[in-house]
Amino acid sequence: MGRVAMARSEAAAALPEVIPASARDRPAGRRALVRTARFMRKRKLGAFGVVLVIVVLVAAILSPLLQRYDDNRQFLARNPNYQAAPSGGGSVLAQLQAGKTANDVSEFVTERFQSPNGTHWLGTDAFGRDIYARIIVGARLAALIGIFASLIAVTTGTVCGVVSGYFGGLIDLFFQRVVDGVQAFPALVLLLLIVQVFKTPPLWLTIAALGFLGWATSVRVVRSAVLSIRQQPFIEAARSCGATDIRLMLAHVLPNVVAVILILFSIGIGAYILAEAALSFLGLGPQGVTTWGKMVEAGRNGLDLHPWESLFSGAAITVAVLGFNLAGDALRDELDPRLRGR
Amino acid sequence: MRRAVGRYIVRRLLLNLLVLWIVATLVFFAVRLLKGDYVNERLGANLELSANNPVAIKQARHELGLDEPKWQQYFTYLGQLATGNLGKSFETRRSTWTELGERVPFTLELGTLIALLSFGVAIPVGIISAVRQDTWADYVLRGFSILSVATPVFFIAIVMTFFTLKYHLFTIEIVKSPHFWTDPKAAFFKYLIPAIAGGIAGGAGIMRLLRSQMLEVLRMDYVRTARAKGIAPNGVILRHALKNAMIPVLTVMGLTVSGIIGGQIILENMFGIRGVGNYLLYTITNRDYPPFQGTVIIIAFVVVTVNLLVDIMYAWFDPRIRYT
Repeated sequence: MGRVAMARSEAAAALPEVIPASARDRPAGRRALVRTARFMRKRKLGAFGVVLVIVVLVAAILSPLLQRYDDNRQFLARNPNYQAAPSGGGSVLAQLQAGKTANDVSEFVTERFQSPNGTHWLGTDAFGRDIYARIIVGARLAALIGIFASLIAVTTGTVCGVVSGYFGGLIDLFFQRVVDGVQAFPALVLLLLIVQVFKTPPLWLTIAALGFLGWATSVRVVRSAVLSIRQQPFIEAARSCGATDIRLMLAHVLPNVVAVILILFSIGIGAYILAEAALSFLGLGPQGVTTWGKMVEAGRNGLDLHPWESLFSGAAITVAVLGFNLAGDALRDELDPRLRGR
Repeated sequence: MRRAVGRYIVRRLLLNLLVLWIVATLVFFAVRLLKGDYVNERLGANLELSANNPVAIKQARHELGLDEPKWQQYFTYLGQLATGNLGKSFETRRSTWTELGERVPFTLELGTLIALLSFGVAIPVGIISAVRQDTWADYVLRGFSILSVATPVFFIAIVMTFFTLKYHLFTIEIVKSPHFWTDPKAAFFKYLIPAIAGGIAGGAGIMRLLRSQMLEVLRMDYVRTARAKGIAPNGVILRHALKNAMIPVLTVMGLTVSGIIGGQIILENMFGIRGVGNYLLYTITNRDYPPFQGTVIIIAFVVVTVNLLVDIMYAWFDPRIRYT
């Protein structure tokens, strides 16, 4: 390389944040790729998190393809001990009363509690359903719940936080007291209450309940960001140019809060997945769908003999939350190192 | 300074009262939104109270005060709260205070263990991880804390239970309820798994935060000055760095206390501990309003008080903070 080129690249290495001159000359698509590669190298942990997130999202989106079997299908096999006309005499009822189990007397046997094997990659559960299929379907639910709950919490929280922080005064005091009241509830209790409005809570209600819980945190965080922005001179300058309140909020305050909002959103997803798992584990989760938390609870019986359902679904929860957490952390470190550890 | 602190405390106490009122109101109307009430839940369980006996049902509702209009019930409720009366359980007809009094010792036992484990482990781990940054110790500890933040507390408990059952380490007692002061050995084994699980889950966030805060502080100029002055390294870490690093950690510790309460609900349920968390679940499932409302208010009171204490401790950690 010529001396000029070497000096250029040395200068570029010394200022990693500045796009090096060589990259500036490349077309925009290549530049994005370069920046992604640099992100991956610089924040290895975050890159690992993004990989996990992608795995979860792929499982969620492509679940019908990846499942292998229907998640509610009960696998049956012919019972080799089945006797159409039992020699001991008597009906099925009599045999059951004599101490035989359902699997002994029926023609078909559910393939319960199988350990991981060729047909069932992660084994089967108490009803003979394939665990791997149920985990893939659970990924779809976890992603849905986490992302939508976070979306609801962050959007509603941003609106209230911006209004509260910008206008101040009575509005601010009102919001702050309500937020304090909501946050003084233990989170699980609040979730419990909202979710039990129906005897069998539907999925949307669980998501809305989680979103409401996160609304309080979002309002707090966004409000403090807005408070610090409100002091800035450019706000005063814009106002003296005749900008209305709405314009100020939308065009000046909001763009500066975007970093905080993004971070809240990404870090929140993991928290909502954990919260929904806890609810399902207690049996208060959305009915009619199978979530990982429910699977952990269902697999508790006979944990020493057939732990597959509990262990694999719990591991799935951990992996998903880990991925979203790591990716969110890396995003936060990128967007604002000052916010690290807050 | 002292007058300012006093005025601050008074203002915060009044605000806390307002927050408690909001909590009491929210929980009152929230439970009445739930489908079913106590009488419905009990229909059929009691021969006298069958669906064929509307007179008995009406009388039961009247006895429990459920037939009054909601607003009237609400004002009765507020009036009771003002005198410190948390109502009587619909089921056992005993005062909520009595019921709670029986259950608080269990929750305190588990809660104290969890708090000790989470803070007692997280703080040294956070310090070591920061002081020995980028060594293998740091990597291992960071990996552990990142993993424990992502793992649900009940899953930690389940994994521990699995190993205990599989290798027959000890018997997990669910039915009996020993205290440490009545039967220490049984109590030790009963609380072992839930305490460790809760401790790991609770301490995880603190570990990470303390480490990042310590790292920031250790780079500061005043730390370099202290070292140059010849203060022993331990003194630098403990007296100068730790105090400054602890401030945001204190906030998280305050939040962790209310997180511990939530985790307690799950752990108490899993291990058959007759504590406050379990009581919350039980009363809400049975739609037994007064004890549920009373317990929620008590918990909210604890949370806001802890937050107030945390804020006061800020002043001790950071003399620059003035209470306007």
